[in-house]
Amino acid sequence: MLNLFLKIATRYLLKNKLYSFINIFGLAIGIASFVLIMLYVNYEKSYDKFDGSENVYRVFMDYLEGGEYVPGDANAYIVSGPTLKEEFPEIESFVRFRRIRNLVVMHNNTPYDGIVGSLADSEYFDVFDRGLVKGDQRTALNEPYSVVLSTAIAQKLFGDGNPIGQSIKIAGDDSVTFTITGVMDNSNRNTHIKNDLLVSFKTFHTWKIFENDWKFTWNQNEYYTYIKVAPNTDAKLLNQKVMAFVPEGFEFKEKHHMEPIEDIHLHSNKPYEAEANGSASSVKLLAIIAFITLVLSWINYMNLSTSKSLERAKEIGIRKVVGARRPQLIWQFLLESALINCIAIILAIMAVYILLPSFNRFIGQNLSFATVPLKSLAPYFFILIAGVSLAAFYPAFVLSKYNPTKVLKGKVQTSKNSLDFRKGLIVCQFIATIVLLVGTFVANKQINYLKNRPIGADLNQVIALNGQVLDRAYDSIFYQDFDVLLEEMKRNPYIADATSARTYPGDNFSNMNSNLGLTFPDGHTDETHIWYNYGARPDYFNLMGMNFVAGDTFLQTTEKRSNNVVVNEEMARFMGIIDMDALVGKTIKFWGQDWTVSGIVKDYNHLGMKSAVVPTIIRHDRNTQNVLIKLDEKAITMTGVDKALGKLERIWHQVFPVSTYNYTFLDQKFEALFNEDRKFAKAFQIFTLLAILIASLGLFGLTSYTCIQRKKEIGVRKVNGATITQILQLLNQDFIKWVGLAFVVAIPISWFAMHTWLEGFAYKTTISWWVFALAGFTALAIALLTVSWQSFKAATTNPVESLRDE
Amino acid sequence: MLLQLNNIFKWVNSGGQRIFLLKDISLTVEEGEFISVMGPSGSGKSTLLNVIGMLDGFDEGEYHFLDESVHSIKEKHRANLYKEYIGFVFQSYHLLDELTVKENLEMPLLYKKFKGSERKAMVADMLDRFNIVGKKDLFPAQLSGGQQQLVGIARALISNPKLILADEPTGNLNSAQGEEIMGLFKQLNDEGVTIIQVTHSEKNASHGSRIINLLDGRMI
Ligand SMILES: Nc1ncnc2c1ncn2[C@@H]1O[C@H](COP(=O)(O)OP(=O)(O)O)[C@@H](O)[C@H]1O
Ligand SMILES: [Mg+2]
Repeated sequence: MLNLFLKIATRYLLKNKLYSFINIFGLAIGIASFVLIMLYVNYEKSYDKFDGSENVYRVFMDYLEGGEYVPGDANAYIVSGPTLKEEFPEIESFVRFRRIRNLVVMHNNTPYDGIVGSLADSEYFDVFDRGLVKGDQRTALNEPYSVVLSTAIAQKLFGDGNPIGQSIKIAGDDSVTFTITGVMDNSNRNTHIKNDLLVSFKTFHTWKIFENDWKFTWNQNEYYTYIKVAPNTDAKLLNQKVMAFVPEGFEFKEKHHMEPIEDIHLHSNKPYEAEANGSASSVKLLAIIAFITLVLSWINYMNLSTSKSLERAKEIGIRKVVGARRPQLIWQFLLESALINCIAIILAIMAVYILLPSFNRFIGQNLSFATVPLKSLAPYFFILIAGVSLAAFYPAFVLSKYNPTKVLKGKVQTSKNSLDFRKGLIVCQFIATIVLLVGTFVANKQINYLKNRPIGADLNQVIALNGQVLDRAYDSIFYQDFDVLLEEMKRNPYIADATSARTYPGDNFSNMNSNLGLTFPDGHTDETHIWYNYGARPDYFNLMGMNFVAGDTFLQTTEKRSNNVVVNEEMARFMGIIDMDALVGKTIKFWGQDWTVSGIVKDYNHLGMKSAVVPTIIRHDRNTQNVLIKLDEKAITMTGVDKALGKLERIWHQVFPVSTYNYTFLDQKFEALFNEDRKFAKAFQIFTLLAILIASLGLFGLTSYTCIQRKKEIGVRKVNGATITQILQLLNQDFIKWVGLAFVVAIPISWFAMHTWLEGFAYKTTISWWVFALAGFTALAIALLTVSWQSFKAATTNPVESLRDE
Repeated sequence: MLLQLNNIFKWVNSGGQRIFLLKDISLTVEEGEFISVMGPSGSGKSTLLNVIGMLDGFDEGEYHFLDESVHSIKEKHRANLYKEYIGFVFQSYHLLDELTVKENLEMPLLYKKFKGSERKAMVADMLDRFNIVGKKDLFPAQLSGGQQQLVGIARALISNPKLILADEPTGNLNSAQGEEIMGLFKQLNDEGVTIIQVTHSEKNASHGSRIINLLDGRMI
């Protein structure tokens, strides 16, 4: 019996090639998109999930901002970890990370840069519960000058040899060597705080590159701090206690605050995060899109199968007449559905395998079935099976219901209910399509808006150079050489200007100082609002194309730094200044020192376009972190840029022969700050297209159904004088009505969804009425095109065909 | 003269073979005639009727309808021609199931640019004439076969055609009902409507003024 059913099913599929293709193809697209998106969603959700991760929390500081405590930044103080552990018995252990900036590892006199490293407490392996591949985790980070490497870095430095006991140096302090005590395998680790190299925290006390920093006081607050609490601890209660706790000697208006490490990647977006985190709302939206796509493909399948069923009415009638009972027929059709769905699933999985590399490149991740624990996919698999069964059952149910005597007389009339049901499905599909279209339009509009919004600085043809000078201390001779470097560069015909600064627009929070406590010109002292500052040379503003609202850049003095500062408009507003000109020459106080305001620079976006402008003070300083180069007009061509870049590197190495060298184009780095959103918009676009494709297939199916259903009617009307246009109108007006209905429902849904999405941006584009109009018209156009293909065929059929009397 | 067919041939190509559906048909129909087409099943009666009704084309020969040469005019013009002058009656009535009697009658008028008030008057007139005013709000499924055919004929007549083409109009009816329909045709013919009907029954054919016999697509 089973064999026979399978044979019939296969024959039927082969006979109706177009139908089978559309059906299987639609399902496969839906399933493949679902699997792809779910791999991604799962990956995003799998951050910092490891053995015992549910007991690990990050400690960060809440700041008093306008009278209220709000999350300040992602760091805590150097003594936060030990103090909290002392105070609260629930806390079993803590790990502090202190990032080592500009880390360059020296091995066999070869410098290796691009390595992310931190000082880390010896309990690292306890808290993060990671075994070492080589070495002893109980002792690896106990002694000063001990280093643990990741397998990747160990491989890079030592090849296949055993690194344990070997020594390396770290640029900046030539006098000490580090011993490798462990190799950790974190290649598969999915964490927001990535480390290629860990240096034992005890090194801190004597290591020259942290010379000024190692005092254990409530002054040092650049420490990522993680605590592990005892199992079954009431974390909420502990957090309340931690927040209420005021340690001895702690004088700031700040509070300690804990957050689960598992939540950081998707839910935390504080200044000074260890890396740019993901966005829970984007992940949620994508997951919703995945479900929509999947459901669309099932709806489609139901529509197509039932519409096609009319052609099988005769087969069913005959089967019933010869004695088939309804359950048998249902089984037969379920089997057929199973066959189609199996083929679709196999195709989908093949498609996922083929598309995964491009998808990975596109989202900048490295997803694979291997990196996702199969267990976590189980619920999705269940959804898939449940949906497929449901989608399969419906047509089987409808098909098996036909009344044999009517069917054999050629009078197929499916119930009005089932037709309404299918119309309802189509309306749902259109709602989804229109919502997705609005989403795509708004997302693109927002990205364009951000791209075209004036930054307040001209980043075009500006390059930031940074490298580590390996054989020098930062003394006066070094600064002289640095001046020489800038002069050399300015002399080059390809280079319009050169200066240096601690940071630049697009560099985000890194390299900016956050501060609390500022005395305004009127003598008022604010202790509750955070503001930011960085150092730059006087010609920084000119090179960056920033404009002054009042005053000018720092007054050039003989010294290389002065007490001159430039403030941005936001800072002036923060200080309550209305007359900008009056601020010039005034004195403000911070860091226990007087500063003179030499100018007010027009607001520019330092943190990218996702964040609003923050109050910022730019100090006169000869900082050497970044050399900023403005290329000359001559270098506007490709070869010109190449020549200029080559020249820059030569000059750099002439002045600093033993050094590493890196460069970045500022405009690119600036735009990269909303890369995530751009990717999101693009993903939105792709899945919208797929959803539309699926919906069109479904509509195609339903139209063919309607046309068959109304074949006789069309014939009669034509014989009675209806023209092709009139018939087309008749057939299409229903679809127009459905799109209209879907449109009405889709407007509030899509408005709400996109309004929520836009909340994540400091600068929002408007959701204009034309976005909805465009989405509606697009949906209508797609619907009419799809429908007209079939209805035109029906309308032009010679009525003689459809009205022939048997 | 209402219409004239001169040496009409119609064929289909099937498997490299040419199968003739109509062979060398020549026929002149005067206004006011009542013609019965007879012949065994598959002899081409319906095909001939469809060609005359311009629902179907032909491959060779000439067809004149009133002053127009049907074989050389454009599709659109041809459609206007039959819309204006020809009404069809079918064996299985072909009423629209979703429409009431009244709406079925009104349907052809919708395609002929009549005003709403005119349509109403014409439909009322037709309901009156066929004595089916009481049934105007019923659906076809609620009528007997004879009543349905009555509505079918009323619909064919509603825009005052010169020619009624009826393909086995009584084929699905019992003899009493068939007799009624034939009586109606006779009456219409007396009022000046030209009728061409296909029938298998000698008795029905005898109502007509002339009989055309077909065999294998040829007139005999
Ligand atoms: N489009 C067509 N293609 C092929 N054969 C056709 C077509 N239309 C009609 N025929 C054939 O032509 C013959 C005449 O058909 P028809 O005019 O319907 O006969 P009748 O109405 O006299 O029973 C039949 O054998 C029929 O099968
Ligand atoms: Mg016939």
